[in-house]
Amino acid sequence: MTDDALFWHRIHFAFTIVFHYLFPQLTMGVAWFLVGWKWLHLRTGDARYNNAARLWARMFGINFAVGVVTGIPMEFQFGTNWSEFSRYAGGVIGQTLAMEGMFAFLLESAFIGALVWGEKRLGPKSHFIAALGVAVGSWTSGYFILVTNAFMQYPSGHSFAADGSLRLESMSRFLLSPWALVQFCHNQAAALVTGSFAIASVGAFYVLRNAKSEQGRLFLKWGTAGGLLASVLVAFPTGDQQAKLVARHQPPALAAMEGRFDSGAMADITLIGQPDVQNRRLDNPIRVPGMLSFLAFGTFHKDVPGLGAFPENTWPTNIELLYYSFHVMAGLGTLFIALMGLATIQRIRGRLESSETLLWVLMLAFPFPFIANTAGWMTTELGRQPWLIYGLFRTSQGYSKAIGSGEALFTLIGFTGLYFLLGLLYLLLIGREIMHSADENQYAVLAMEKAAW
Amino acid sequence: MVELWFGILTVMIVFFIVLDGWDFGAGALHYIVAGNQEERRALIAALGPLWSWHEVWLVGTGGVLFVAFPRVLATAFPAYYLALFLVLWTLILRGISLEFRGHIPHSMWRSFWDFVFAVSNTTLAVLFGTAFGNLIRGMPLAPGTPLSLPLFTDFGVRGKVGILDWYTLSAAVFAVVCLSAHGASYLSLKTESEIHRRSARAAKVLWAATAVLLAGVSLETFYVRPELFAGMAARPAAWVMLALTAGGLIAIFTGLHSGSELLTFRGGCALIAGLPGTAAASLFPVMLHSTLGPQYSITAFNGSSDVSSLRTAAYWWPIAFAFALTYFSFIGRHYAGRVKLSTDTQRPY
Ligand code: HDD
Ligand code: HEM
Ligand code: HEM
Repeated sequence: MTDDALFWHRIHFAFTIVFHYLFPQLTMGVAWFLVGWKWLHLRTGDARYNNAARLWARMFGINFAVGVVTGIPMEFQFGTNWSEFSRYAGGVIGQTLAMEGMFAFLLESAFIGALVWGEKRLGPKSHFIAALGVAVGSWTSGYFILVTNAFMQYPSGHSFAADGSLRLESMSRFLLSPWALVQFCHNQAAALVTGSFAIASVGAFYVLRNAKSEQGRLFLKWGTAGGLLASVLVAFPTGDQQAKLVARHQPPALAAMEGRFDSGAMADITLIGQPDVQNRRLDNPIRVPGMLSFLAFGTFHKDVPGLGAFPENTWPTNIELLYYSFHVMAGLGTLFIALMGLATIQRIRGRLESSETLLWVLMLAFPFPFIANTAGWMTTELGRQPWLIYGLFRTSQGYSKAIGSGEALFTLIGFTGLYFLLGLLYLLLIGREIMHSADENQYAVLAMEKAAW
Repeated sequence: MVELWFGILTVMIVFFIVLDGWDFGAGALHYIVAGNQEERRALIAALGPLWSWHEVWLVGTGGVLFVAFPRVLATAFPAYYLALFLVLWTLILRGISLEFRGHIPHSMWRSFWDFVFAVSNTTLAVLFGTAFGNLIRGMPLAPGTPLSLPLFTDFGVRGKVGILDWYTLSAAVFAVVCLSAHGASYLSLKTESEIHRRSARAAKVLWAATAVLLAGVSLETFYVRPELFAGMAARPAAWVMLALTAGGLIAIFTGLHSGSELLTFRGGCALIAGLPGTAAASLFPVMLHSTLGPQYSITAFNGSSDVSSLRTAAYWWPIAFAFALTYFSFIGRHYAGRVKLSTDTQRPY
């Protein structure tokens, strides 16, 4: 029963967190666009910006609601499914989870209602403040939760209490650990990628429907400019720094991410290939010699150890999935830069609105940042295995011993059903919002609809 | 330090139950006080802007429990595994029913979410009532195997108890009635015309019922946990909380009598804050009471984190709390007064 239970607890957490994170990434990515538009509206009085903000604020409301309701189970699962972990690490991990609630969520949720429900009540100035409050709140919550995760990747600032459990020794080393800072920058840049792609995608859709769509042009402009900036930041410097941290502090994870079994200097980077863990080799690889040494340590001559250099009980538990996740993330990242670079060039040349193929690609590209973000998290979380807190506490020690596989599976099935429904409703409502605002005479339509309520 | 964190935890729970309590109560009364689509929209608009802020106090309570009393969390949460997931799923349904209902102006869509809204809020009142009942009654803690409670055993309150028994069920009934009364008071403050009239009438009936049930539940509690009353007699902190509760009751009935809805509402808040406050102050330091033997109970002292973790958290918590009240007063100012469908909907145009 025990190993079985561990497996289902892991799937339980993985499923609920992957689903949850689909929503916050869009929230955090779009929040600053909203602030920007509200600000420009306040400064220039240009109604186009306010209309843009209104459409996205309404989608934001739907997105946020799903983010909130799926986030609450995350918080409680530490107690229900990972109680041994909570008992061991509560004094440290609990700090940031409590701070997230107290500093970030109370800020975010105080203003979200005002942003979505209250434009008329608040007036333009306070409505701008509401948008700002939501943006600051959502990024603060991102920071606290990433500190939590960073601690699990690279424990910092803790010491041990008399009974062997963790206690907090230094708040500053915990909150400002180098891992947390780098992870925050990379993750937030990645959230901006999601937000920008979504905005550009809606823009492309509007322009494809109606080449003169003002909203469409505005979204295309902001989405592609933001998208290019964010995609570049994701790769360099932040992704690069992430890789350097992994190379230094989780060497078996790096080896697995690259499908590297043998050690040596002038390490190659693998572009394509399939790891074969049983025979400890990579099938039909395409490699760039020396690049891995260079990327991980800044020099070609440094030795990058392969998996063979580490005892097997410190190997990540699912090497193949880790390898593919990492390659999906990094591969998509490269494509994102290319796509947004091309779109920006066309926009500067004034050709973007007439390049139909490119618009189609932009319109259909919105799912890929979600895929890249999920793949990135799978890389992080699978690379951390077999540790729950790297080097300190194993995943097999952390789950609730009272909860057997049957119960874990039961609640997992419950979440699957509920989240499936939630996903359908979400898509329905978001799709409806986008369709409604696609018509330039949307306000007339809405006025009619309102009369019919 | 441990005393401080016990107090903070109580404050967090009280904020949650007072604030979200009126959402649960108003939701439970959805069909009773709001007769048609317009009125139901108004009822939801009265809750819409701040329900998620209210719910976050639960998240904060979870966080505070995690950092300050991880052993309590790690014992109680798996013990109530399925019940907790029921709470989480119901919270999900409650949240989306509020937010999704307004997005499609079709009567079937709205009727569906009205139903989900009313049922989920009522269920939540039942679940939180049961939870408080379980906290007071205790759980069959013993050394050795990790604990997992059955739904019910023999419906008794001693020894090997289950989640439901006559005491926790009466706590659930009390919670539904009391929170509905609280919700009715809130709605009578925030709404106009028909729905206002019905809420005011419901508040009268429900507060009277609450007073009767409170007397009954107190008697039961005297049988279930006599030490609660011993603690109450001996501790000044408990006297303050008791005074708050009694003051709340007086304010409620004075308000109902004189037609001051604000006074009734404030009295309701005081009552709902005072009851868990009194229990916490009287039972300290026991957090999870063992029905098998008091020596197995988990107390604030043996359930807390290391004192260095507690001390660090004591630096930031008051700052965060002050911030929270600041945003609330900013938003609250804008939302003072009764809701109007012309200004308070999700459509800005
Ligand atoms: C749009 C999404 C996206 C894109 C295009 C990229 N990443 Fe990423 N990456 C993430 C989204 C992400 C993430 C989901 O946000 C992660 C998971 C945890 C974190 O902080 O960020 C992440 C983690 C992450 C890690 C940490 C793995 C670990 O901790 O074990 C590394 C080394 C990289 N990334 C490297 C890269 C590189 C070299 C990229 C090249 C372009 C790249 N990422 C593109
Ligand atoms: C930032 C806060 C996060 C924390 C504190 C956290 C914590 C955890 C914990 C406790 C587990 C279960 C134990 C384990 O398997 O190691 C886990 C597993 C997992 N998490 Fe995370 N997680 C976070 C974010 C994410 C995100 C955003 C994703 C994906 C979008 C993710 C993906 C996964 C996956 C795929 C697993 C299963 C890995 C495995 O068991 O092999 N995590 N995480
Ligand atoms: C184990 C990990 C996680 C836990 C326990 C957790 C918990 C929560 C909770 C309780 C909420 C609802 C807050 C409210 O009511 O306002 C929420 C929402 C949110 N979470 Fe998570 N979360 C986790 C992972 C993440 C990650 C990895 C991120 C981003 C880096 C994130 C960012 C957010 C944001 C921005 C929101 C706001 C709501 C939204 O737009 O979706 N969370 N989370």
